[in-house]
Amino acid sequence: MVDVLLSDAEKTFIIHGIQDNLRDDGRGCEDYRHMEIETDVVSSTSGSAKVRLANTEILVGVKAELGEPSSGKPDKGRLEFFVDCSANATPEFEGRGGEDLALEISNMLTRAYDCPKCLDLGKLCVIKGQQCWVLYVDILLLECGGNLFDAASVAVKAALYNTCIPTVTVSQDEGHVDIELSDDPFDVQHLDVTSAPCIVTLSKIGHSHVVDASQKEEACCLARLMMGVTEKGTVTALKKEGSGSLDPSSVEEMMETGKRVGQALNKSLMEVLCLEEQKGKKKEKTGFLR
Amino acid sequence: MFSCYIVTFCSPRIRKTSSMAGMELLSDQGFRIDGRKPKELRRIQCRLGVFNQADGSAYIEQGNTKVLAAVYGPHETAGGRGKALHDRVLVNCQYSMATFSTGERKRRPRGDRKSKEMTMHLQQTFNAAIMTSLYPRSQIDIYVEVLQSDGGNYCASVNAATLALIDAGIPMKDYVCACSASFVKDCPMVDINFLEESSGGPELIVATLPKSSQIVFLEMNSRLHEDNLSKVLDVAVKGTKDVYQVLDNAVRDHISEVSAFHKLDQS
Amino acid sequence: MLTNKIFLKKTKKGGVMKIVREHYLRDDITCGTEICAFCNQKSPCLQENPSSRSGLVTTSHYLLPDTNVVLHQIDVLEDSSIQNVIILQTVLDEVRHRSAPAHRRLKDMISNPDKHFYSFCNEFNKDTYIERLRGEKSNDRNDRAIRQAAKWYADHLKKCDGNLKVVLLTNDADNKSKAKDMGLEAYTIYEYVKSLKDAGLLMDRLSVPDTGLAVEDNRVQFPEHLPLLEIQRGIKSGKYLQGTFQASRENYMEANVSVHNDDRMIFIQGHMNLNRAVQDDVVAIEMLKECDWGCPSSLVMEETEEKPDDADIEGEDLKLKRNKVPKEQRQPSARVVGIIKRNWRQYCGILQQSALKEATRHLFVPAEKRIPKIRIETRQANVLAGQRIVVAIDSWPKNSRYPHGHFVRMLGNVGDRETENEVLLLEHDVPHNNFSDSVLSFLPKMPWIITEEDMKRRRDLRHLYICSVDPPGCTDIDDALHYRELENGNIEVGVHIADVSHFIRPGNALDKEAANRGTTVYLVDMRIDMVPDLLSSNLCSLRSNVERFAFSVLWEMNHDAEIIKTEFTKSIINSKASLTYAEAQMRIDDKGKNDPLTLGLRGLNRLAKILKRKRTENGALTLASPEIRFHIDSETHDPIDVQSKQLLETNSMVEEFMLLANISTAQKIYEEFPNCAVLRRHPSPPPSNFDPLLKAALSKGFSITVSSGKELADSLDKAVLPEDQYFNTMLRIMATRCMMQAVYFCSGTISESEFFHYGLASEIYTHFTSPIRRYSDILVHRLLAVSIGADASYPELLDKYKTQSVCNNLNYRHKMAQYAGRASVNLQTHLFFKKRVIDEEGYVLFVRKNALQILIPRYGLEATLYLNTDRRKQGPTFEFDEEKNVQRCGVVTFHVFDRVIVQLSIDRSNIQHLKLKLELVKPEVPGFSVPKASQRDVNLDEPPTKKVKT
Repeated sequence: MVDVLLSDAEKTFIIHGIQDNLRDDGRGCEDYRHMEIETDVVSSTSGSAKVRLANTEILVGVKAELGEPSSGKPDKGRLEFFVDCSANATPEFEGRGGEDLALEISNMLTRAYDCPKCLDLGKLCVIKGQQCWVLYVDILLLECGGNLFDAASVAVKAALYNTCIPTVTVSQDEGHVDIELSDDPFDVQHLDVTSAPCIVTLSKIGHSHVVDASQKEEACCLARLMMGVTEKGTVTALKKEGSGSLDPSSVEEMMETGKRVGQALNKSLMEVLCLEEQKGKKKEKTGFLR
Repeated sequence: MFSCYIVTFCSPRIRKTSSMAGMELLSDQGFRIDGRKPKELRRIQCRLGVFNQADGSAYIEQGNTKVLAAVYGPHETAGGRGKALHDRVLVNCQYSMATFSTGERKRRPRGDRKSKEMTMHLQQTFNAAIMTSLYPRSQIDIYVEVLQSDGGNYCASVNAATLALIDAGIPMKDYVCACSASFVKDCPMVDINFLEESSGGPELIVATLPKSSQIVFLEMNSRLHEDNLSKVLDVAVKGTKDVYQVLDNAVRDHISEVSAFHKLDQS
Repeated sequence: MLTNKIFLKKTKKGGVMKIVREHYLRDDITCGTEICAFCNQKSPCLQENPSSRSGLVTTSHYLLPDTNVVLHQIDVLEDSSIQNVIILQTVLDEVRHRSAPAHRRLKDMISNPDKHFYSFCNEFNKDTYIERLRGEKSNDRNDRAIRQAAKWYADHLKKCDGNLKVVLLTNDADNKSKAKDMGLEAYTIYEYVKSLKDAGLLMDRLSVPDTGLAVEDNRVQFPEHLPLLEIQRGIKSGKYLQGTFQASRENYMEANVSVHNDDRMIFIQGHMNLNRAVQDDVVAIEMLKECDWGCPSSLVMEETEEKPDDADIEGEDLKLKRNKVPKEQRQPSARVVGIIKRNWRQYCGILQQSALKEATRHLFVPAEKRIPKIRIETRQANVLAGQRIVVAIDSWPKNSRYPHGHFVRMLGNVGDRETENEVLLLEHDVPHNNFSDSVLSFLPKMPWIITEEDMKRRRDLRHLYICSVDPPGCTDIDDALHYRELENGNIEVGVHIADVSHFIRPGNALDKEAANRGTTVYLVDMRIDMVPDLLSSNLCSLRSNVERFAFSVLWEMNHDAEIIKTEFTKSIINSKASLTYAEAQMRIDDKGKNDPLTLGLRGLNRLAKILKRKRTENGALTLASPEIRFHIDSETHDPIDVQSKQLLETNSMVEEFMLLANISTAQKIYEEFPNCAVLRRHPSPPPSNFDPLLKAALSKGFSITVSSGKELADSLDKAVLPEDQYFNTMLRIMATRCMMQAVYFCSGTISESEFFHYGLASEIYTHFTSPIRRYSDILVHRLLAVSIGADASYPELLDKYKTQSVCNNLNYRHKMAQYAGRASVNLQTHLFFKKRVIDEEGYVLFVRKNALQILIPRYGLEATLYLNTDRRKQGPTFEFDEEKNVQRCGVVTFHVFDRVIVQLSIDRSNIQHLKLKLELVKPEVPGFSVPKASQRDVNLDEPPTKKVKT
């Protein structure tokens, strides 16, 4: 994890503040920082999204390719997560420097989405046991400003929302299978991401916990709980992380907060996405050009 | 140059018969497949200072090729004293491509031969342009990330890195501007896109210091007769000068914007 | 302006790829009209005031055809009266994807300044570009784009000048009505052409829409063709086979299909099974059950009388099947289920006028017997009768007995020399139009002078005693030779080849034209040049006493003709004499002449003999093919005499050095370009090919061994009958027939072991010595020039796939040129015998089931003497002994090589196909043979009567 060096006094300042529900940037404990979401930013992908959460910048591209389904789930499509920590974020990521962090994020996402109700992967099946759509969800971390997991999960959900999968028709004839792509560029399928989870990270700082910890707060935090939460408040994955320990009661408390915050996060995310889609093509595309 | 507006257009083709075979790179009417004339550049859009944490950063779009560059340094050499150079700064580069940047998904963002070669090329190019002797025993990192690739990756990378270096305030002899060119039907074509690159014709890539017209990098792929080389090179060098104009304007705009902001701050 | 084109593509691996391409929209695309003051343009090509000949649109207007009009009515557009046409980029692109020949013709029209065709890049213009809408088909989008562009033109022209109009031509009713809704003038091509003054011929050139000629009674006669998708699936699963349709020449109800990727020929019989396939179409076939297999009827069936379009095809088919084919004669048979690709072209032929006087629908009888008769509509049957005309097929509806087509143009009277030559060229697909202006624009400007720059790049060989030796009357002199003794005692021999590649630069229109033509075609009385006359007969031709550029091969040899050093160089030469073979021979033979030129010729001749001996020892074959020369009357251009070509020593002398130059060049370019050298190979024939030769030789007691070229050559040499000197020549003629066709190829495409040239017994071979008349040689020149650093290479030259595809075209053109040459000889033979009946000596070359193949050495002719034909009702019958390969009739027996006397005349029963008729004079077979010509009273003016035996 990208580290920020803090003195003891600074740490104490932050911890005490949080005890009084007052964070160094003025937020409350359950508030997120300002987040900007933009979809359809990379035209060579099936779906893409860019999320900027304070200084954290994440770009997600989804590519739909035809592939074989996994042997355990012959009638389901596949979802493959890949995270790349760009050296643009920090020189520490140069070469293979970011791989551990990348693996951590992609594993968490895989687990959060490994729940049959999150996403209807059955729709991605083309020919049972032979062909299905594989969605490669590639996450590119461009700048680190704390709370990477949450930001990544929001970006993934937005990119999946934006994903268009070409309609294919399958014709079978004497054992021969032909997959024919639709000729119409508008003839595409969208994924229903309503119940896709977002990751909410709760950082235990002092005796309280906060969501969306900034880098400074992360430096004060010894243990955190990451959970995948859907819009209904279902927890799809749970993971404790960090060197410190948590007692069961505070875990319960944190989960309650997590569910509450997660539901709100999912709700506002969907609202933003719908709004953006309504603007459709007319919206001014900006991407990195501000 | 002609004016630019944006529209989006979709037309799926599926059958193999309508593939690239039989495409005319240059029509009888003198247009390229994308509607440009042979000596026209693609649209260039750029921005400096995209990131807050890096010492310098920039983003550039040349047509559909989109590149982000970040610069860190000068700072202490990373890999211990051993790597430091006693008389000049160590220019450290990394070229990497997003896995979704190409038509077919890439399996690795970097570490393959092509990326390693690109990294080396960038290193050579910027060693020639940065005033390296000003920072002995230290290091400058230039990181380039290709977000979308549609030909001219090297050129866009160099141009983006130049802007990022300027953003970082690192002294250079001049801008470094890069441009590619090809030769089709006895006609040199500037700034070739992916389709033109992959047609098998010659590809010449050049990076220059535009003010002095010095060539700092030159590469040539496929076959081209030497009689035609100077024509193609001329077109490519002219291209770098056009690129320079665009970059220079962007830098000036950025500076005036930032200084206006500072004045506001002070008052 | 900028837009992105986004589309999906299936990759080779079966994946799906999203492709995004930029598409820039511009504001600087000009309208191309002379009246426009807004577009800043140079030399616009649409006229300011085009006169209107149409009754529909009486004011000046430009035409704007849609894609289908261009694709199907290109014959109309090509008419010189159709001018000032706007061709949209959308249309041009669609045409290119759908039909390469139509695209080429369209491009020719656009580049022809007299046609005033303007190609407007509407897809790049910001005002005319449109995007595909949700749910819109690609074709609909393109139609909309065409309307959009038409609208733009209409508005634009209004802005410039109120009078000019743009007229959209479309045959699509929907498109037309939508255009009218937008306030555009739109007509179908039929409406428009009909409204033109003197529409006459132009009307006939209209292609018929699918339903236009349909018979009211919509009875389906032919089985439906399967859709392409189903065919592809069927081929994948092995249910159907894909092949090229080859109609039978003899019987219009039979055909074969040569299955692709397989050597099989599948037999097809009967209308229903042929199912509207036409010669050269790529078809899908389904095998029949074995009990339904048939066999060729060995009947010659020609379709004669006209049948109604809804004639009972099934009934005709049933007649065929009455007699079941015995099991042992059955051949694998199939039926056509679908057409994968039509390969229709334009066909020459004559009109078979309808019996009804006022009828406008007539049948067209193609000259090529393998093409079915075509139904056309014309109002000028009287004009067309007795003319050779060209017709194109439009469609073959499933309820019509005949395919439907339209008249394209008239060639001239049947039987005229020019007309018949034209037919011959068209039927052999020989491009013979005059060179277009764009091609001619790449010729050097006259007067042509040699510059200092040229001198610097070339070796000056003007001082050498170089001469050329060619047949009499040759104006395209490709090659010249010289011989001189060096101071070190060795000999320098030079072969100088016209430097055509200096004048024809790669990729320009001149080069493309030459590459397409591939070869100069020699007919008996005309020559169709591959390159314009200025080059072929002047600047490139190595005539005497002028300075010419050459590509020279210089060898240093010792007196045993062993090569010590080979050198290639571009040079300047000044030939001292252009000799004929006979003149050169006379110089060599004339002991009194001792000038340097003659001495050189003698030296060359001596070396050539050594070279030839070595070559023969290596196993090179000396084969014979009867070649003849016509002596043509200089005024009437009728042939007045025919004789076999004579071969002199000098012929062989020139040939030897050309072979040597070709081999040396082949080695050099292959060494330099192992992957893309243009070479020529001659595959060894499979042993079974030799069977007729072996059988024939054995009948005279000679055994021929064919296991290698060398053995074949030796055993041919030994097979000599002292009493019959022509025997050996006949054997060699037979051997020629056993050979494979030599072909050009690109060295990177096959393995080195297959490079062998069987006939010349050379490991490697190419063509270098005739660049004026063969495009292969131009390619070889370019390769050689690059390898010695004298010229630049270019990407296509080094691309083995492109080179191979050029080679394929050259092979095709070469073959067609040979056929055309032979057809021309036949034509001349017919003209020659038109006024003559001659008895001549001949030899039996082959004994066939119902005929003898007779060779007539004096005329180098080969013709068939039919023995038992259906038409001959009376007289004796011949018995064929397959075992001994003889024909018997009473006491007379015919063996191979037997000498006979035959009578030659012309059979005029079919005016399209005049046939040389052979009748037996000696040995006499009562009731069959005819008396000597001199004893007969032949009335030449009354041809078609059958001669009655006395």
